[in-house]
Amino acid sequence: MLSKILPEKIFKILDEKVNLKAVNELRFRADKPIVVCVSGKNYFLTENGVSSNLTNALFASKIAIEDIIFRASECSIYSVNEQIKRGFIVTDGGIRIGIGGNVVEENGQIKTMTNFSSCNMRFPHNVKNCSLCAYPFIVHDDKIENTLVISPPNAGKTTFLKDFVSQLSERKLSYNVLLLDERGELDNNIDSNFFDKIAFSTKKVGFENGIRSLSPDLIVTDEIGQEEDIDAIIYAITSGISVLATTHADSMETFLKKPLFQRVIKDKVFKRYVLLSKRNGPGTFEGVYNENFARVSKMS
Amino acid sequence: MKYILIVVLFIISLSVGAYFYLKFDKRKKFFSALIMLAEKLSVEINFSRERLKVLIENFDASSRKNLLNVDEGYLAYLNKSAELDSKEIFKNAQVLKQEEKDFILLFLKTLGRSDVENQTKEIQNFLKRFQEMKEVCDGEFKKYGSLSLKLSVVAGLFFAIILI
Repeated sequence: MLSKILPEKIFKILDEKVNLKAVNELRFRADKPIVVCVSGKNYFLTENGVSSNLTNALFASKIAIEDIIFRASECSIYSVNEQIKRGFIVTDGGIRIGIGGNVVEENGQIKTMTNFSSCNMRFPHNVKNCSLCAYPFIVHDDKIENTLVISPPNAGKTTFLKDFVSQLSERKLSYNVLLLDERGELDNNIDSNFFDKIAFSTKKVGFENGIRSLSPDLIVTDEIGQEEDIDAIIYAITSGISVLATTHADSMETFLKKPLFQRVIKDKVFKRYVLLSKRNGPGTFEGVYNENFARVSKMS
Repeated sequence: MKYILIVVLFIISLSVGAYFYLKFDKRKKFFSALIMLAEKLSVEINFSRERLKVLIENFDASSRKNLLNVDEGYLAYLNKSAELDSKEIFKNAQVLKQEEKDFILLFLKTLGRSDVENQTKEIQNFLKRFQEMKEVCDGEFKKYGSLSLKLSVVAGLFFAIILI
């Protein structure tokens, strides 16, 4: 898929001179050097691979960025306009491409984005067993605790969720899992026979429709970001459905100060909090906490 | 020997006539098929929002035959195995005039580049021009297509009479 999206020259360098499996992000900014994030560290892309030195760095042109976005949409921008309106495209291989450019608004509604000037490709990674450190604290006696995974951006939240769903299936725990996938990147490479997916919907709509029509035991969703999401989670939990969700915060202290989560914290909506960081690279397991924020697991 | 020569000359003049007849016919059928394709794209982009590749691949096979492999060239571009340039796209479409090729290439270049609303408007604008081109082709076919066939028969008979 990547070969179909990237300019031939860039793909060749990445394929031959960079370990693609270790690449987390690839950033293109018009008339700026191309930046590659390898194992959590940023480098410039050069003819010979990656370098921390700006000399010999390859620069991205605006035309190249527009072409990447055009190719990522399978040459059909209109078919992904709903995603573009939200600032990203997700390709078939689960690569999420964040887009920078001009937002076109009409009557207060975003109509589309044009004049693309930057893009950020995030590559999905499967890290087998990465959720096992937390798994025993979340699943016990055939019960899944309502859990919130907390981490800074790009520190392995989505990878954790995907592995957790696979682990449930691997242990033959036939929970009906509903993936509520706002950005269409969650189900890529999930090894499970027991999950349904609702993609590209808001959490409110997804939770309501999913609970009504798919009767899940567990709802897995990424990035809680607004009050409406919290309402949807509380609605699910009070309907007897377990929830595994994620949010951004770089530490437990930061999380505890976030106004959005004060109600959740006070009402003890989540029984488990999993903290991830980038301390030793993306996906570093920092611990599992209970509803009183007492650590229930050891640090990795 | 004389009769063989008459038959050969008659066949040659008929072939020349048939060549021009088929040329005008191909042009006419090409623009009919192109209009059908553009109309299909306009409707499907609005309705199913399916990707271009799928829409073109699913386009009616009998009409696709009349597109002089322009569709194949465009699909190769969508698959990133060929460039979107006039030489590559129109290698089997010599019957088209340069200005027509340029306009069709512009049409192909605008496909897939905008949101549904703008894409539909663009296709509708191109469709108007394609209709005009088709009308010209229909006129050419009526005027010169059958005329060239008739003239070739007359020319063949003329050679036969002279040689007899």
